[in-house]
Amino acid sequence: MRARINIPDLAFAAFLVALGALAFALASQLNVGTAAAMGPGYVPRGLATLIMIYGLALGLRAMLAARLAFPAVELRPLLLISGSVVLFAILLPIAGLALASFALVICAGYAAYDVRFRENTISALTLAAFAVVLFVVALSLPIPVWPW
Amino acid sequence: MDLIANLATGFAVSLTPANLGFCFLGALIGTLVGVLPGIAPITTIAILLPFTFSLPPSSSLIMLAGIFYGAQYGGSTTAILVNVPGESSSIVTCLDGHQMAKQGRAGPALAIAAIASFVAGTIATVVIATASAPLTWFALKFNAAEYFSLMVLGLTGSVVLAHGAPEKAIAMVLVGLLLGLVGIDVNSGSPRMTMDLADLGDGIGFVPIAIGMFGIAELAVTLGRPQDRSLLSVKLRDLWPSWAEIRQCIPAMLRGTAIGSILGVLPGGGAALSSFAAYGVEKKTSRNPERFGRGAIEGVAAPEAANNAGAQTSFIPLLTLGIPGNAIMALMVGAMMIQGIQPGPQVMVNQPGLFWGVITSMWLGNVMLIVLNLPMIGLWVALLRVPFRLMFPAIVLFCCIGTYSAGNTVFDIWVMLLFGVLGVFFYKVGAEPAPFVLGFVLGPMMEENFRRAMYISRGDPLVFVQRPISAVLLVMAVILLIILVLPSIRAKREEVFQE
Repeated sequence: MRARINIPDLAFAAFLVALGALAFALASQLNVGTAAAMGPGYVPRGLATLIMIYGLALGLRAMLAARLAFPAVELRPLLLISGSVVLFAILLPIAGLALASFALVICAGYAAYDVRFRENTISALTLAAFAVVLFVVALSLPIPVWPW
Repeated sequence: MDLIANLATGFAVSLTPANLGFCFLGALIGTLVGVLPGIAPITTIAILLPFTFSLPPSSSLIMLAGIFYGAQYGGSTTAILVNVPGESSSIVTCLDGHQMAKQGRAGPALAIAAIASFVAGTIATVVIATASAPLTWFALKFNAAEYFSLMVLGLTGSVVLAHGAPEKAIAMVLVGLLLGLVGIDVNSGSPRMTMDLADLGDGIGFVPIAIGMFGIAELAVTLGRPQDRSLLSVKLRDLWPSWAEIRQCIPAMLRGTAIGSILGVLPGGGAALSSFAAYGVEKKTSRNPERFGRGAIEGVAAPEAANNAGAQTSFIPLLTLGIPGNAIMALMVGAMMIQGIQPGPQVMVNQPGLFWGVITSMWLGNVMLIVLNLPMIGLWVALLRVPFRLMFPAIVLFCCIGTYSAGNTVFDIWVMLLFGVLGVFFYKVGAEPAPFVLGFVLGPMMEENFRRAMYISRGDPLVFVQRPISAVLLVMAVILLIILVLPSIRAKREEVFQE
């Protein structure tokens, strides 16, 4: 009875149960109605229940399955790419497209293990200029360019 | 002849200078992303989707379609020269294509890939044109129950053909269906599962989900893997294959086209599956199968014909029934809905110009691609030398700007990020994003038809098996599921995906 539990499967099952429970809670105030005249809550609740049961079954199977560790997650690319998106989302409304793009490229560039400082900086300047020219000047999207 | 008249209607739309331009642009971008490993056509279509909002519907669809089949051309270039498939549909092209390149026959390999793609593209265009009219006529008889059952079949197909564990694909479909329901209920007007966020009133945006899962998540995963790109320095002196080689390839091309055309139509099918199947068939039917894997030219022609045919015929269910067969077609549904077009059989009846325009543009696009590809191979090879570390920050930037411009709200960027991180999680636990996206797009349509069918039947669920067409569709779905659990076939399926 050694070395059990398929961790990736168990994690996925836990996700399903959590999502199902959340959806069920959110849909609980909605009117369910009858099968002939369904209310807005009928299908969401049904699906949420199904997902929870499915997740429980999958979780049970994972507990009994042979040992499998969770695969290694490369944190550097994940964190730096996410970080660059966060920077962009925060900076865009207050600092405009040019600075937000520059910050994004600088930050995202370091997600690669073979990043080079000069090359990355030049690339950030070029891409920021390119983004402004392409999206604001050429495609005239309504995006603020500068903080002022 | 109806067909001729229809094609004439189509060419009247697709031959306008603007649409020719968009077709060319789509094919060019498609080739570009096809050549570059690490950027899938689905990512590109997701990123470019918001920028097509301001275009007329026909131009928008013509361009997006061009990206899809253009990528099938481009993917083979990388496969042959670098032994890295530019796209999943070019994996088998690596086997014999790269061997040919090593023997100094990169030119003929590239040329035969382009010729096979062109032949397949031409035939597939005719197949779409002839199959669409009867299918549409058939689909116009569909009622709510039939639509519901058809979508069940489509989702089942996406589960069967998903890579990885089918039980996880089923879960992903369910999650997609559930998340598709977030937003204001069209029947009652009450907000559902919105957590009182005004931004979720119209539901979770399709664009941020698609870009997050196929753009951000893909990048985060790809960057974690070591990059290997040893580029063969090829001289493209002898570009053209000999007549004997072309003649040798004709049966392979035709078989590949037939296989691709059939598999492309199947729900969940498409380009990648078609190329695997075509390669397998060539190897089995060949008189000397030992040549395969050592630079057999048919081993390039057949899968290249199949993936291009499959890419194009996967538009059939979308254009006639309004049902996307794979994740890329789900994006096309998104593109159509954003343009205010409800996909379905009505499109052909009410907007013949759009319908036939898109179909004829596919053939024009194939002509452009063959012109575009052969003389420009040198340029594509040069592009492959651009290091990935310079390319991916630009992709992240385009993901963000694209998402923002779709709804002009920063909220969508946060949604994109959430689904990007979720996408990495799904990748790590071995759950495929494609069934999820399909479920997400079909969710609202399925619920709508389910509710309507149940309303008409006064709450009797037997309606789905009492109506003959609906019953047949459901039986097909059940058969697919049974095939999936049969151990012998399951082993075979894993073998196919392993190769």
